[in-house]
Amino acid sequence: MSQDISIWTTEALAVFAKEWRCELRTGYALNTLGLFAITTLVVMSISLGHLGIASTEPTTVLPVLLWILLLFAVSAGLPRAFVFEEESQTAIALRLSARPSSLFCGKLAYSFSVVLALEIIVTPLFLTLMHLKIETMPVLLFALVAGGYGLAAGGTLVAAIIAQARSSTTLFSVLALPVLLPLLVLAIEITRSAVAGDPAPIASRQLLLYDGSVTIAGLLLFPAVWNP
Amino acid sequence: MKKTLPWILFLWIALVIWGAFKYAPLAEGFIGDSSRILFFHVPMAWGAFVGFIAAGIWSARYLFGNRDPRHDRAALASIEVGLIFCILATVSGAIWAKVMWGTYWNWDPRQVWITVAILFYGAYLALRSAVQDRQTRRRLAAAYAILGLVVAPFLFFILPRMTGFTLHPEPVVNQQGKMEMNPQILHVLLLGSSGFTVLFFWIHNLRCRLEDLAESAMFPSQGAHNDR
Repeated sequence: MSQDISIWTTEALAVFAKEWRCELRTGYALNTLGLFAITTLVVMSISLGHLGIASTEPTTVLPVLLWILLLFAVSAGLPRAFVFEEESQTAIALRLSARPSSLFCGKLAYSFSVVLALEIIVTPLFLTLMHLKIETMPVLLFALVAGGYGLAAGGTLVAAIIAQARSSTTLFSVLALPVLLPLLVLAIEITRSAVAGDPAPIASRQLLLYDGSVTIAGLLLFPAVWNP
Repeated sequence: MKKTLPWILFLWIALVIWGAFKYAPLAEGFIGDSSRILFFHVPMAWGAFVGFIAAGIWSARYLFGNRDPRHDRAALASIEVGLIFCILATVSGAIWAKVMWGTYWNWDPRQVWITVAILFYGAYLALRSAVQDRQTRRRLAAAYAILGLVVAPFLFFILPRMTGFTLHPEPVVNQQGKMEMNPQILHVLLLGSSGFTVLFFWIHNLRCRLEDLAESAMFPSQGAHNDR
């Protein structure tokens, strides 16, 4: 039993390390996600700065913009995790090297780390450029970590589904949005609470429930999706 | 039974129509006769929800069972019929909203979530059309439908209640778990909901039989049930 767990952990860590090694070789995901997010942020900042935004509106509008920015940046980069394996014909080798659950967890850990890296770059820039003041920082950090995890979990599973389809990157947005929309609403609600200074938003529990549900669904469904 | 069911169903729906216009009184707080549309709107929304759940269950039977293509066809038929119910519920709701609220659409939480359900149904059909290999298509579509089953409680129950503000009337069973409704209105609503559920499964059965015939015609050597 303990040997099984040890093998499983080694496989998951190997997949995680392999993903980062490939990423550092090409820099595809970080470059795409980062540049997409920063370009969108600059466009938002110029548009809003020029048009102006009423002093009562930032609390309502800006958390929405932050999460839409993150969602679309993730949609631009995350599908690559599995599409790349199919395109470079390494999927069969990967199927032989790791069991589906450890592979899913390795890919999920990689996606989560990429989303966290994106949030670390984008959020301070967003807060500075948009002059958004955060009253309760721990609540914002919770929203970013739990929301980022949900984006990674839902995104990884949908990426695995679309990898075997035609025009997969376009399909990712179509398939991922209805799945990720509840997460988006909950994360926006918590971010608004962070701006308003609410120390314990009600949506936190629902967000954790969403994260847990999608992770369990991922672990259950991934073997069937991955193995022909 | 196959020959008598359509007649029973015909009488059942005729009884619902008679009940909606002749038996049930006008509901308090509604403008004119607008409450009568709810005897069709609520059962159709219920039918859409049944379609969602049925598609998830049939997909789970396909994916985790013996991969019987009939289960996949049943899931597809559920989505197709459910989508029609969903669109009809949205349109009838919009007509009612125009009379009551003065506008067809006002982004009420329930309107938002039924829109997301339509997007989900549409994404499922888009996924199916993007995969050429039949077995891969069934596998991926089944996984996505089950993922929908995981997200459905958030769309239908958690988020509409969390948002708080809604112009929608109380559901049949209110948030205190009680039925506070005129008994005659309740009778027609229950008769309509059960009637539309039977109607859903009757159309679903016809759709499945048509799909079986089409499959047998396209692949006569394999037979409709043995092309795993």
